[in-house]
Amino acid sequence: MTRAAAVAVVLLLMLAPPLVTSNQFLLHLGITVLLWTLLGASWNLLGGFGGQVSFGHATFFGVGAYATMILYLRLGLAPWYGMVLGGVAAVAVSLPIGLICFRLRGPYFSLSTLAVAEIVRLIALNWEALTNGPVGLLITTLPRVALGARAINWESKVPFYYIIAALAVLAMAATWWLSRARLGAYLLAIREDEDAAEAVGIDTVRAKVLTLALSAFFTGLAGGFYGLYFRYVDPDAVFPIALSVEMVFIAVVGGLATVIGPVIGAVFLTTIGELFRERFLVGHLIFYGLFMMLAIRFLPEGIWGGARRVWTGRR
Amino acid sequence: MPLLTVTELTKNFGGLRAVAGFSFTVEPGEILGLIGPNGAGKTTVFNLITGFLHPTSGHIFLDGRSVVGLRPHAVTRRGIARTFQLVKPFPKLSARENVTLAAFIHESSRRRAESAAGQILERVGLVEKLDSPAADLTLSEQKRLEIARALATRPQLLLLDEPMGGLNPREVDEASTLVKRIRADGVSIVLVEHVMKAIMRISDRVVVIHHGEKIADGAPDRVVQDPTVIAAYLGGRVA
Repeated sequence: MTRAAAVAVVLLLMLAPPLVTSNQFLLHLGITVLLWTLLGASWNLLGGFGGQVSFGHATFFGVGAYATMILYLRLGLAPWYGMVLGGVAAVAVSLPIGLICFRLRGPYFSLSTLAVAEIVRLIALNWEALTNGPVGLLITTLPRVALGARAINWESKVPFYYIIAALAVLAMAATWWLSRARLGAYLLAIREDEDAAEAVGIDTVRAKVLTLALSAFFTGLAGGFYGLYFRYVDPDAVFPIALSVEMVFIAVVGGLATVIGPVIGAVFLTTIGELFRERFLVGHLIFYGLFMMLAIRFLPEGIWGGARRVWTGRR
Repeated sequence: MPLLTVTELTKNFGGLRAVAGFSFTVEPGEILGLIGPNGAGKTTVFNLITGFLHPTSGHIFLDGRSVVGLRPHAVTRRGIARTFQLVKPFPKLSARENVTLAAFIHESSRRRAESAAGQILERVGLVEKLDSPAADLTLSEQKRLEIARALATRPQLLLLDEPMGGLNPREVDEASTLVKRIRADGVSIVLVEHVMKAIMRISDRVVVIHHGEKIADGAPDRVVQDPTVIAAYLGGRVA
């Protein structure tokens, strides 16, 4: 019962803001938090459960974003399907990347994902026929979508808010599913000891590749959403290393392998990022970095993991 | 027909020949002791059989089917389970969760996998430790946990790599009893061990490996009197 109540409260907090406020800045902040929630939750599927620390998830974000934009601009495909196909494109890219990088373990895996992400970014920058290179791709109008008798107003932030909220909830539902599924159990075994996992009959490569695909799908969806919301993508915006690193931070600071962790991580890092930017202007990243160091030093299980331990310890 | 047949198994690491034309068999229901001085190639043989290493040449058959070239998880699914010389529990997970993960390869429902895990943990005497993280168990308990985890994969053949190493005499006795009980349940066993008293008491047959080659194969009391074996252990030459 308390569990159902907790789920209801979280859902309400995630879905209610547009009903309470029409302040454009606050809605934009809400969309940003939910986008980061989606990204943190996607990364968490592989990184939190399987312990595979990818520093290259910007690849899937960028591929999702570009696929959505290109399908709309070149082929006229409605971006709502395009966004899903962006997720599919990210899955397609994830398979060879998984087969290459999962040959390596631990820090070597992490470094290889970083290297692959840079390769993909450089391809996007230089393959001008497809991506328009550093100039980027711009959408001027979004197609009309009827909702009952009325058309959705794409100039308002409200529809975007609900789309990203639904996607974030979906990613959290996938996290919950994984925590109960056999695949999730296999990932925990892999995180703890990969040789022992193989020894008990777990196909570790298959489990990792499948999970990377799932993770890439949600990251690609997020990329597609980003493209449509900002109506502009270029390689520096959707393929940077900083984006990959931020996904790691959100999952780690919130709490690895938890459903709620990425929301908490996204709220904290987005608000703290904004606060520091306002206060310290040029130097804000120094304080942001300092905060990250403190968080990892004193709350290695993340905010949610730490809170849960205090709570169960008291009972 | 033997359960396991290993013929002319050879493994080179660069210029080093770790295992050289090593052949042996395991009969159904047998406890086979595999002994030899440090660095003789015992663990390498285990790694070759279980797919963690691939042989340079030679054959390995389980029930007449080759297992060479399979990845470790596939070898386990064929019916060969193992433990590790340096224990590899899933440290942060509870004892029950450790074994449940292994039971999952045969049971898709978590409830059934957990109940299978509970039964096996009872068999190895870890029933009071169900909810303790594996990292908090004693070495003896961790070794039993690894055996439980291996049993949960429902093996025909169990390879135990020093299950008694580092244990006190009472724990060694308990481990010996456990190994015999597992065999009584129909699982054949290959045992690598340095605790000579125990291995001589519970093995039906002993194979001695030295410099990657087999130097003796027979009943325990005969093997200990073999001059080649004595020379290998004492470092002397055969007169």
